Amino acid sequence: MKGLELIKKAFALQPVERVPWVPFVGVHGGFLTGTDAETYLKSSGEIVKGISKAVEEYNPDGIPVVFDLQVEAEVLDCKLRWSESGPPAVVSHPLAEGKKRSDLKIPGAGDGRIPVCLEATKILREKYPDIALYGLITGPFTLALHLLGTDIFMKLFEAPEEVNEVMEFCTQVGQKMAEYYMDAGCDVIAVVDPMTSQIDPVTFENFVTPFVSRIFEDIRIKGKLSSFFVCGHAQQNIEAMCNCRPDNVSIDENIPLDFVKEITLEKGISFGGNLKLTVVLLMGSADDCREHTLECLDLGGKTGFILAPGCDLPRETPLKNLKAVTALIHDPYQQDVVRTLEKKESTLEIFNMKDYGQAEKVIVDIITLDSESCAPCQYMVEAVKRVAPHFDGVVEWREHAIKKMEAVSFMSSLMVKNIPTICIDGKIAFVSQIPPEKELVAAIQKRINEKLKLKIRSKRSEFILLGEEESQCRELQERAMRALTELGKDVEIKVVAGREKLASYGVTQTPAAVAVSYKIKSEGSLPSVEVIREWLKEL
Amino acid sequence: MSELLSNIAECIEFGKINKVAPFPPQMKGQDGADELTRQALDEGISAQRILTEGLMVGMEKVGIKFRENKVFVPQVLMSAKAMSTAMIHLKPFFLSGEVKEKGTFIIGTVEGDLHDIGKNLVSMMVEGNGWKVVDLGTDVKAEQFVSAIKEHQNAFVGLSALLTTTMVSMEKITKAIKEAIPEAKVAVGGAPVTDDFRKKIGADVYSPDPQGLVEYLNAQVA
Repeated sequence: MKGLELIKKAFALQPVERVPWVPFVGVHGGFLTGTDAETYLKSSGEIVKGISKAVEEYNPDGIPVVFDLQVEAEVLDCKLRWSESGPPAVVSHPLAEGKKRSDLKIPGAGDGRIPVCLEATKILREKYPDIALYGLITGPFTLALHLLGTDIFMKLFEAPEEVNEVMEFCTQVGQKMAEYYMDAGCDVIAVVDPMTSQIDPVTFENFVTPFVSRIFEDIRIKGKLSSFFVCGHAQQNIEAMCNCRPDNVSIDENIPLDFVKEITLEKGISFGGNLKLTVVLLMGSADDCREHTLECLDLGGKTGFILAPGCDLPRETPLKNLKAVTALIHDPYQQDVVRTLEKKESTLEIFNMKDYGQAEKVIVDIITLDSESCAPCQYMVEAVKRVAPHFDGVVEWREHAIKKMEAVSFMSSLMVKNIPTICIDGKIAFVSQIPPEKELVAAIQKRINEKLKLKIRSKRSEFILLGEEESQCRELQERAMRALTELGKDVEIKVVAGREKLASYGVTQTPAAVAVSYKIKSEGSLPSVEVIREWLKEL
Repeated sequence: MSELLSNIAECIEFGKINKVAPFPPQMKGQDGADELTRQALDEGISAQRILTEGLMVGMEKVGIKFRENKVFVPQVLMSAKAMSTAMIHLKPFFLSGEVKEKGTFIIGTVEGDLHDIGKNLVSMMVEGNGWKVVDLGTDVKAEQFVSAIKEHQNAFVGLSALLTTTMVSMEKITKAIKEAIPEAKVAVGGAPVTDDFRKKIGADVYSPDPQGLVEYLNAQVA
């Protein structure tokens, strides 16, 4: 199950097999298609292109059509300043600059950029019937702030009636916008009201709750889903937000996910968030993103949780980072790997492996999560298991399941990063992909040949003849020379005479012959205990 | 006499501007920062004492309550408004040099960012603690910061940003300042900013709340 159905299930607080994923792609959509923020937000065609690209890359269950909290303000005569890399900013506040509340009219579906948003919604609806489309509207308090400027904060105390009047108007705007988006095909209406993070719960209950609740009620009557987005330090207001009866509350990294989880679930409301936008998604590595995503998944759990960035994705968020999040969320097995590694990496002991794989036999190591529970691991182990007997005892294989601490150390020592991986004599040979039998055989054979070559080069042997006197060995020496000639071998024959020397060879009766073969095991280095142990096994 | 000062502090703490102001409800009909400051001057209390034992005490209490999430932006803005009403009475004493400022703090929201709530809060808190504040406004370029620091010798400088996108601009400006005036002390703040980020860009101080910055500044001149 995926997309809309999965989101509906999560909103209904039914347990899901996989947590739904909603990347908040705003002007980042333009980044994906090489379009600047202004061009992007002014063209339904560009929005459709950007979101389509995001759908293709990030395989989302839900996605916002447009993330721009200035659409309504622009229609209501706020001046905007456009930027290449972010959504526009409101630079003038009409109600603080002489306009009267009665001068402002509820925006129509054809005003300003509203048709751009609705057109994009319709096209995307048709194109992606199974993905939950989010219509984002500016929350009434944030819109009121756009209209009044920061004066609104003092007017809360000094002119509460005026604030109420503006809030009433902004609520009607929100209701209308929600209606437009629902009619155009959105499944979820998100009321985005970040400025509420700046007020205390009592002020919230007095000035926000009575208004915003009406928007959520409208959405419920229409049979659609609603979400209440807030960003910033809004921890104090989460409970008050729930009391406005949205279906979902979505927050950013400023609020701990488990805190929100506890409050929302108790109120029977689903919750979402809160991937860190800057330090992880924008500035972190793909590995950081995987680790952090997992942290969110583990905290959020599989009931009533939707994974999403804390807010609008910064435009230049690297594609590879969001793809890492996408891959992880769709792959429970990768989650296990990251989870296991994360726990154990800190207490790791690294072996010195530079001499690993010098033993007579070829050693094939398979690094797995655990072949019993992880399918790709199992197939990889089986592939090796099938091939090994062909080599008739020359090849030895071992599985290292990283659920054990030593295996994690072993894995890190061999610099293995992915699971499963096959190493041949300590060298990474196959990563993640299960090799076809032929390739695996060829790779092992190659290593056997290498070792054979080395063996021929490094072997030095002596044939030692022992006697009490040299003359005693003469006959033996002649026979040995004859044998060497017949074999075509290059072995040095040495005669050792003298009773006192016999004992050191363990010889008691003469004449005697001892064959000695030397083999270089290491040169100019200090092999580890593990490595020496492997060599000793050959003796 | 000292009761008058503590009443002034209370007006600042709770944002009581003047007698007619309806806020806060529990102080309805009482004299506000405006009337009490006038009275104090008339009674011969020095402007310096009114500032340090009245206004600054109240401002510090608000700063701490804000840090502890006991009050939020609206309440702090009310306090700031009460503060600036009181300051009108004290202005002549600043100009005559009778009241000493602790130093100069230059502040601005960085290039590309037009948000000023955070910047204004910080500037009011710093001013309320006896500093001269030079507010460069929003969307301020590196050169503007640099020339302001050159104009006000030994001034500290604060960069504000609300958007993740303008954090990049913060880095650029910090580097430009450090290049032009290596000994300049740069403070950074704003919703997306963290201490890790501060280290990355080579700024000197980060505080998640205005009070933290005030404490830093005061420590520098103590």
